[in-house]
Amino acid sequence: MEITIIHKQSDAIHFLVEGVDVAFANALRRTMLTRLPAMAIDEVIVIENTSVMYDEMLAHRLGLIPLITKLDDYNLPQECDCEGKGCSLCQCTLTLEKEAGDQETVVYSRDLSSQDPKVVPASGEIPIVKLAPHQRLIVEAYARLGTGAENAKFQPVATVAYKYVPVVSVDKTKCDRCGACVEACPKKILKLDGDKVSTQNTLDCSMCEACVQECESGAITIDSKKDSFLFKVESSGALPPDEIVERAADILKERVREALEFAGSL
Amino acid sequence: MIIPVRCFTCGKVVADKYEQFKREVRQGEDPAVVLDRLGLHRYCCRRMLLSHVDVIDSFMAFATSESPGAKQS
Repeated sequence: MEITIIHKQSDAIHFLVEGVDVAFANALRRTMLTRLPAMAIDEVIVIENTSVMYDEMLAHRLGLIPLITKLDDYNLPQECDCEGKGCSLCQCTLTLEKEAGDQETVVYSRDLSSQDPKVVPASGEIPIVKLAPHQRLIVEAYARLGTGAENAKFQPVATVAYKYVPVVSVDKTKCDRCGACVEACPKKILKLDGDKVSTQNTLDCSMCEACVQECESGAITIDSKKDSFLFKVESSGALPPDEIVERAADILKERVREALEFAGSL
Repeated sequence: MIIPVRCFTCGKVVADKYEQFKREVRQGEDPAVVLDRLGLHRYCCRRMLLSHVDVIDSFMAFATSESPGAKQS
């Protein structure tokens, strides 16, 4: 197995995995989605809410805010020594207090103050609610670790997708250089280069086969490599994208080991 | 009511981009260009901002907050 990083940003990573099958690629994707823990607000105590928004809706919005997660600092509640009752090792308290003066005020996620300075909203610019003059909001929220299998708000990723590596080939003997394929390609992969059709950025190909349909002489074939996958992992901000992939691989390895151990004990 | 925190379909956080989107579109920029710049490339996330109506502003006209004078009495 070989991994090549194609593109890396602060919130997304694009990489190529070679020499694996679909089952492995999908297992990795599903591990990132449903098994990798992340912090999210799970319980909210509304002490005062005179805003126009219902308490339930407010709590729901708070839950969806991605919180920066330090996986080594917290335990999953079901694995914690306190047996899920909630202690400082598996829970983090955040408070929010805001009152509008004589003007309309927007409450943002940055107004949440956390007990743990490391567990803070990944983005401070998320509007939670708008307060009319003299309305007040006092809220206490408890964040904990959880997995995507339990609730999608715990997912550390927005999207994880993979696709086959496309192989675009142009048969020079059949090609009549009409240029119809160049026009048809939505991703601008084909290019009329002097007297021949050449390809560029083939990894962008979505394999729509618009060029194959346009090509009357049948010179273009779109194929895919069956053992290579292009992954796109987009983080919600809870964890950096490279850590997501690394941790997910560790979890997957551990789960495979457990399964093998069980199979061996039969 | 107010802009949803995340995209309904893919779960990307969109709420923090709404104010910039609204401001720049009001200044006469092309919404498609603004969405691209904000990093919303999928159509599921784009529709979250494009089709949103901030109804909370209408609700706030009927707000039942106590005035500071009334609170003291």
